[in-house]
Amino acid sequence: MSLELVLIVAFGGALLTYLSGKISHSLRDSFAVIISLALAAIIACLYGEPVEKTFYSGFFGLGLVLRLNILSWLFAITIAVVGSLSIIFSLSYVKGKEKTDFYFLMMLLVNAAMLGVVLSGDLVSFYIFWEIMSWSAFLLISYNKGPALAAGMKYIIMSIIGSLSFLVGMLSLYVSFGTLNIPQIASVTTSASPGYILFILAAFSIAFGIKNAVLPFHTWLPDAHSEAPAPFSAMLSGILIKMGTYGFLLLLYVIIGLKLFLGIGSGLLSLHSMLCFLGAVTIIIPTFIAMLQKDAKRLLAWSTVGQAGYIILGIAFGTNLALAGGIFHFFNHALFKALLFLALGAVEFRTGTRDLDSLGGLAKKMPVVFIAALVGICALIGVPLTNGFVSKWLIYKTLILEGSPFLAFFALVGTWGTILYSYKLIHNVFLGQLPDKYKNIHKPPFSMQLPLIILSFAILLFGILPGIPLKVIDAIGTSFGFEPLNINLWGITSETGTLNTINIFSAVLVAGVIVWILFSLGAKSVSAAQENSYAAGAYTPSDKYHYTVEFYNPLHRMIKPFLRDVIDEFYYWIASSVRSLAGGVRHIYSGDVGCYVMYIILFLSLLIFVQMKWQVW
Amino acid sequence: MAGMVVKIIQIILSPILALITGVFFLGLARKIVARIHWRYGPPLIQPVIDIIRLFYQKSISHGGMFDLGIVLSLAGSIVVVLFLPFGQITPLSSSGGLLVILYIMLLAPLGIALSAGQGANPNISIGISRKLILSLGYEVPLLLVLLAVMTRYKTISIVQVVNIQQSTGWSLFSLPLFLSGLSYFLILPAILGIRPFDMASAPQEISSGPMAEYGGKYLALATIEHAFVLFISIALFVNLFLGGAANPVIFFVKMLVVFVFGLFIHAVFPRFRIEQAIKYLWKWPTLLAFVGLIITSFIRS
Repeated sequence: MSLELVLIVAFGGALLTYLSGKISHSLRDSFAVIISLALAAIIACLYGEPVEKTFYSGFFGLGLVLRLNILSWLFAITIAVVGSLSIIFSLSYVKGKEKTDFYFLMMLLVNAAMLGVVLSGDLVSFYIFWEIMSWSAFLLISYNKGPALAAGMKYIIMSIIGSLSFLVGMLSLYVSFGTLNIPQIASVTTSASPGYILFILAAFSIAFGIKNAVLPFHTWLPDAHSEAPAPFSAMLSGILIKMGTYGFLLLLYVIIGLKLFLGIGSGLLSLHSMLCFLGAVTIIIPTFIAMLQKDAKRLLAWSTVGQAGYIILGIAFGTNLALAGGIFHFFNHALFKALLFLALGAVEFRTGTRDLDSLGGLAKKMPVVFIAALVGICALIGVPLTNGFVSKWLIYKTLILEGSPFLAFFALVGTWGTILYSYKLIHNVFLGQLPDKYKNIHKPPFSMQLPLIILSFAILLFGILPGIPLKVIDAIGTSFGFEPLNINLWGITSETGTLNTINIFSAVLVAGVIVWILFSLGAKSVSAAQENSYAAGAYTPSDKYHYTVEFYNPLHRMIKPFLRDVIDEFYYWIASSVRSLAGGVRHIYSGDVGCYVMYIILFLSLLIFVQMKWQVW
Repeated sequence: MAGMVVKIIQIILSPILALITGVFFLGLARKIVARIHWRYGPPLIQPVIDIIRLFYQKSISHGGMFDLGIVLSLAGSIVVVLFLPFGQITPLSSSGGLLVILYIMLLAPLGIALSAGQGANPNISIGISRKLILSLGYEVPLLLVLLAVMTRYKTISIVQVVNIQQSTGWSLFSLPLFLSGLSYFLILPAILGIRPFDMASAPQEISSGPMAEYGGKYLALATIEHAFVLFISIALFVNLFLGGAANPVIFFVKMLVVFVFGLFIHAVFPRFRIEQAIKYLWKWPTLLAFVGLIITSFIRS
């Protein structure tokens, strides 16, 4: 099977879906699902064979290359799977909305463009796909209109800045080395001067940092994630921002190379420790901000920023264990954050709101969604037996044993903050008192529940048998020049600390069964409505009396003054200054011809003066 | 084969030993506090009588998660016990180490929080909110302490931490870890949830918080769970700072001493407000633990 097939199916399929929507909606729906699933199947079949193919060489003599190796395979399969699940979820989600043909076209186009990014073997095609991805993502973020338009605008402005930075880096590489083929660049960077490497790093890091929402480039993310349609939020958080992660991996480990990367600077001022520190800050601040959110999707969006910090920390730390942890966390985060966004999308679909203060008690109305969300938050926290635990364990272990306890401290405190906001999320939406207006809602349709079930199952599977994905990840590590890890199906063996998830699983299972037997042996319990026990049958207020609003109020009051998003305010200040400056400049155009003639004469006299004084021409 | 049998016996034995110790501590606590208050106090086996009685009493349930959460919580505590060395009994400690213990310790409060959350009682959610804030409060110094220990001994395995101490002496009295140990002791009441840190379950104020909707066997399981939590928090301290022990009896004596010290604090202090608790936890214990970690990582490098 060839690589072009992926792109042909992805892009051609997107167009075909759009056109078929003009004929019939059900035809379009089945096309969208079939194409996204076909992509996943094709990519799964491509496993294990590194391929490289020039598909067009007319671009100023530069070959446009498609290339598949183990790194791009892992990213591609994640994209294809999360993408197809989001599209299946979309079927009922967008039903009855306007411009659904356009919506599916854009979803498939983003999916195709992301596949293009990870499959491209040279920077030109990388850049082309990167731009297609950014623009179609912009159109999807703005799909809901209203506040979504502003969110989309913020996203695309920051995205363009990133792209320009990428373009600068790319052109500079072309001028210096005369090639844009990634392996060829990688072979010549070793001879470049440290200053030049630093410049390249800065240019590309801005581009990838904005996409990956690393502090201080994170400000587009909370708006964009919360305003986008839920299935696209899942793609955005699960995979689109991970294109930044892919870029970082490519930059640090392929283009620059491991040795060179670890060798820049020394001690605390080295690039490696500064990036690690950036990762740690990206974990801690957004986590605390997430606790204060009232909008469920906004809470998850801030959590995405925080979790991206773990990935950056793992990648930047630069040992085989940390890298494996970072890449594994990328994979896990794609699964569990997609799951959470989809679960909340299902809640929003039925209730029409994502306000944490007004929801509650939905566990009994949507049991499948509740269990999926529970699995999702467990993975987000990193409870053992979910995949999130294994990746975090890898990161902590290497941080502690390599003598960076303070980085480990940041990462661990971030986890404890995660518990607080995760519990708030699940408690305020699914537990507690069911408001009267939601007494009659139904569970979401099957096409929404299916992706939730598949993702929950995957999270538990890779949590109990982490060896399956770790094998692929270890192959990536070895391709970067690391020592291979000692991986079993159930975790990692080493003399400094072994992880055996099978033992943990059996222990929890057996203990759970014993306690359950003990529980069933006790006197039977009677199911009781909430009002009956709380007020013992006496009068209870008819509206909401359950405590969910400002759930962590004492903590709010203590930490809120420290958690202003200063960076966002700074960007807004720049935007408003530019606007007022431009407003001032506008007054030059007075509309009076005499005035314009005066400008021309003034400018000419300036030129003449310059020439007479300094003889420049 | 013989090793296998020993292992299985250990796996069965250690939760039972932990349960007996924990329940004994519950009874002892009531007796000692009563004596400090110049009362006579209930008999030592009162908690056992209570648990058995509760199992036969009727109770109400608020749904599937209400049942499942409490089971998950107790199961989580039992699993933590399997990972903790008790004297030289170390059933499962080789499959994860301290980081796994730290994470499985989450299952207990998470299970209670999920189960009680289903109860939809305002007292419950206030209690849970306080409990989670408090746990964030004490986790900050606790993590610094644990990191200091792991950095000092260059391992994440708790068995190795104990073994090294068996040959080099208690880490509480070794120079770099003294501050960390002190910090752990200062936050121990908060981990145990006893006064002055019992705001999460304040009986007079919010009807025991998360326990408010529990009755009958739910309360029995919650009491057993509490006994396990007592055991786990103190056993962790003994393992990390008092050198563990060569046999279960010495281990038990060490635990008893630590617990009685904690009780003295419990018996005489009034309850903090949650903000006061956070301010206290993030001030002295954190500072001590922080300095301890700095010194430890200096010595290491």
